[in-house]
Amino acid sequence: MPADPFFAVAGLAKHFGGIHAVEDLSFTLARGEILGLIGPNGSGKTTTINIVTGALKPDAGSISVEGSDMAGQAAHLFARRGVARTFQVPRLFRRMTVMENLIVPALSDASERRPSAEERARGVLAFLKLEHLADDYARALSGGQQKLLELGRALMLKPSLLLLDEPFAGVHPKLLEQIIEHIRTLNRDGHTIVLVDHNLDAVQSIVSRVLVMARGRKIADGAVAEVLQNPEVVRAYTGSRAGAQ
Amino acid sequence: MGSLSFSRAVQAVLLAVALLLPLAAGPYWIHVGAIAWYYAMLAASWALLAGFAGQFSFAHVAFAALGGYASALGVGLLGLPVGVSMLLAIVLAIVTGALIGALVLRLSGPYLALFTLAISEIFRLILVAEEDLTRGMLGLPVPGLFSGQSDVPYYYLGLGLVVMAMLAMNWLLSTRVGLFLRAIREDEGAARASGIDTTRYKILVFVVTAVIAAIAGIYYGHFIGILTPNIAILPEMGLVIAMAVIGGIESLPGAVIGAVVVFLLSESLRAYGEWRFVLMGLALILVQRFAQNGLYPMIEQWSRARAKPRAAATVEDRHAG
Repeated sequence: MPADPFFAVAGLAKHFGGIHAVEDLSFTLARGEILGLIGPNGSGKTTTINIVTGALKPDAGSISVEGSDMAGQAAHLFARRGVARTFQVPRLFRRMTVMENLIVPALSDASERRPSAEERARGVLAFLKLEHLADDYARALSGGQQKLLELGRALMLKPSLLLLDEPFAGVHPKLLEQIIEHIRTLNRDGHTIVLVDHNLDAVQSIVSRVLVMARGRKIADGAVAEVLQNPEVVRAYTGSRAGAQ
Repeated sequence: MGSLSFSRAVQAVLLAVALLLPLAAGPYWIHVGAIAWYYAMLAASWALLAGFAGQFSFAHVAFAALGGYASALGVGLLGLPVGVSMLLAIVLAIVTGALIGALVLRLSGPYLALFTLAISEIFRLILVAEEDLTRGMLGLPVPGLFSGQSDVPYYYLGLGLVVMAMLAMNWLLSTRVGLFLRAIREDEGAARASGIDTTRYKILVFVVTAVIAAIAGIYYGHFIGILTPNIAILPEMGLVIAMAVIGGIESLPGAVIGAVVVFLLSESLRAYGEWRFVLMGLALILVQRFAQNGLYPMIEQWSRARAKPRAAATVEDRHAG
């Protein structure tokens, strides 16, 4: 564990009635690190993302961003602090243009003016190769383009931590390569990233460390090769009988 | 001609017609026109609240009633000068708008509609029940603003208020606040994740629209000279919604035009008694079926479509030349 982690979660818990969606979850991230957060369906990955971005309030635990505890704070405060996210199913401002989608997060910072926000947005569009769509309505984009636009919207927050929830789900293989390359580039540029996805091949191709969750708990955390050999992880993915064999 | 310039040209022509109308129209139509400005303010501010910010409130006419009654009671009960009483009514609308805005923060869609409907009905029933204060269904007398019998000063005052409300709302929509309100309408969770303090902007839009509705109510009360709780009945709210929807719920000029056209139409069809409301209902159904965004945006789109081939032809001519 880094001595002074950039991002740290400790003892995080979230219950929905009798369901323990997240239980006693702790992990840290060093600045510039990229972490794969994996686990079978219903293991608590998205709930974790929702908690550490302020969309859900935790029942217990702390969330430290650069030393300040932000647990329970509103989502917009996390965003303003540079904790940006994408959603499993893109949640764009559908009846707004691509450009408008991008400048909304930029202008949420009162000190940023519209011309500079638009200039930054054009840069993001160039990075994502979506320049030609700037004036199109977000609802007119293809599924893959919507994923890219959502990534762009998160980048407009000048994030220090990016949480990407299933960026590869339902994406055409050609676009998948493009998204993988974008994530690599962002990480090379110093962005700290948490990547949640079921596509283990894609995740492994990007990250060196994975955290595995099952039934709301952390069951493994470490180097990809080691973790994927972990019997508990194998059991979680293949079922107890297969794991026992 | 682009859609924006088309819209501006249409608005300029309509404003000129509205300014000149009293020169040509008789006292009855000037009276009708002065009432139409009341509905125009309500429909346009409701369009901002529902069409741009996605907050489907049914308490809008209650804010008009609040403004009208507060101003009337300020003069009649507290003996305040009319101007002070009006300001007091506006302050009351700001406080109430913020309170209701805060109360409904977590509600949306049908829940928000039902909640605000309940608030509106509670307020109306208080107006009915508090006879000592409001004179109930007998009606509360409200002093006029101008001496003389002519409605012309009220007509121009109403028109001026509509123009000022439109300028204020258009200005708001042109700022980042307008962008945030539309983002909240599209997806509140995504707006929060984009750094927007949605609580703040939802309360803000409730306050702004409550103030405009209250100003409309103040104007209406002082113009008509008597206020009854019927100002806040559900059919009145339905009428305002129909005006905004027919004109264009996501277009402020559309809502104003919708209000004026629907009100003038309902007055023109008075001879048909209750059947005119059936016709209004049919008009609403037809608009919803064939021009979901309302008539004004449909006309704007048509003008844009017409302008495109002409622009293309000009380019071809230039190339040919």
